[in-house]
Amino acid sequence: MTKLKKTLMTGYWLVTLALFAFAIAVVFAWTPIEATMGPVQKIFYLHLPIAINTFLACLVTFIASVGYLWQRRQFWDDLAVSSAKVAVLLCSIVLLTGMIWGHSAWGRWWTWSPRLTFSLVLWLLYVAYLVIRPSIESRERRALVSAVYGIVAFLDVPLVYLSVKLMPDIHPTSIQLAPEMKLTLLLCFVSVTLLTVGLIAARYRLHRIESAVGAGLDLPTPTKVPITQPGDAA
Amino acid sequence: MMQVIQQIALLTGKDLRVEARSRQTLGLVVVLGILIVVVLGLGLGPQQVASGQAATAVLWVAYLFGGVLCFEKTMAVERHDGALAGLMLAPIDRGVIYAGKFISNLVLMVALALVVTPVAVVMFGFDLSAAPWGFALIMAGGFVGFAAVGTLFAAAVSSSRLQGGLLAMVVFPVSLPLVIASTQMMLHLFRDGEPVGGAGLAVLLAFDAIYLVVSWLVFEVILEP
Repeated sequence: MTKLKKTLMTGYWLVTLALFAFAIAVVFAWTPIEATMGPVQKIFYLHLPIAINTFLACLVTFIASVGYLWQRRQFWDDLAVSSAKVAVLLCSIVLLTGMIWGHSAWGRWWTWSPRLTFSLVLWLLYVAYLVIRPSIESRERRALVSAVYGIVAFLDVPLVYLSVKLMPDIHPTSIQLAPEMKLTLLLCFVSVTLLTVGLIAARYRLHRIESAVGAGLDLPTPTKVPITQPGDAA
Repeated sequence: MMQVIQQIALLTGKDLRVEARSRQTLGLVVVLGILIVVVLGLGLGPQQVASGQAATAVLWVAYLFGGVLCFEKTMAVERHDGALAGLMLAPIDRGVIYAGKFISNLVLMVALALVVTPVAVVMFGFDLSAAPWGFALIMAGGFVGFAAVGTLFAAAVSSSRLQGGLLAMVVFPVSLPLVIASTQMMLHLFRDGEPVGGAGLAVLLAFDAIYLVVSWLVFEVILEP
């Protein structure tokens, strides 16, 4: 990595983390407390932006999977698996925050309501994506199966959404938000999106190095590989 | 067009002839299906069994596991003695190979259902007489989508030692909307007495259409001996 690139990366992460910390501070210190739900409602400012970013990460996996089937270039596969990992992470957070919220709103950690089921199926789809990969030894075969799965899984998302709509619902469909709340939500959305993009980029860099090492290719800075690799992996 | 149908019929006929003569897959799958029904019947206990509500879930478990075994076996037949390479060298479209495999799998799954469903109906006291055609329609819609996805992944997931668990791992999560839509429709049909149709059927048909088209397109790229 060139020096400029490194500086840019560091700058990006500093801005992202600062913005995220600021957003959290705004959520707790400035945004008014919602009347019916009380302070628990503040989890919503994290829940919704992360849920939207889960879809973005899934979309990146889909695009990268199509790219791989089209061009058969390894970097597409690396990008697909990077964003799938981030999607699983984000979806886990969505499920957990949703469960905490649901526990205080309905008194139960889990109900088979449409949106909870939807998030769970989405999570399962992308967890399966990650766990099948190590079982396939050949690199080309792994990338191929993953690419087909990445496409099929993404096309599955709207179908899951439609099928869970057949179930009885207790989830809020629209929430009235005060202007301060909307502003906070926007701030949280921007910072979470920056965080998502940063995480995908970081993962992608790691997977690029891994596949370069696996394929025995020359890296842009070959001398640095044996030194940075164990540190990166840890 | 006529030629394509002829080719598909030829490939399907070949698969089914191989199956009819060896009776390898169907025997295995049917016994597995009955075993699953029995294990679930024992596990749920007499009270639950009498309700009949559990039958749809039991049937889906049996169909899912049996179906995955069918997909694996019909593709494994081609990998013996390099038969797949011969098939790929034949002057036919790859989509035709997909369609042939898909129909063979569908026939095997219907055969499985014809044996396992009566067994489950008897054991769970599930009353189908209210809407037998509705039941058949919902299940057929589910089978088409399931076989479409399964055939595609059976071709993609190959030459791997962990093939067995792997195919189920890939196909099950993708098929969940089918299970959700069909169980909800079954509830409406048998508990509330509503006719089949509306949103549930639309989801099933959309699933079938999307995955048949996508598989037809993608199959061309992924088939390797």
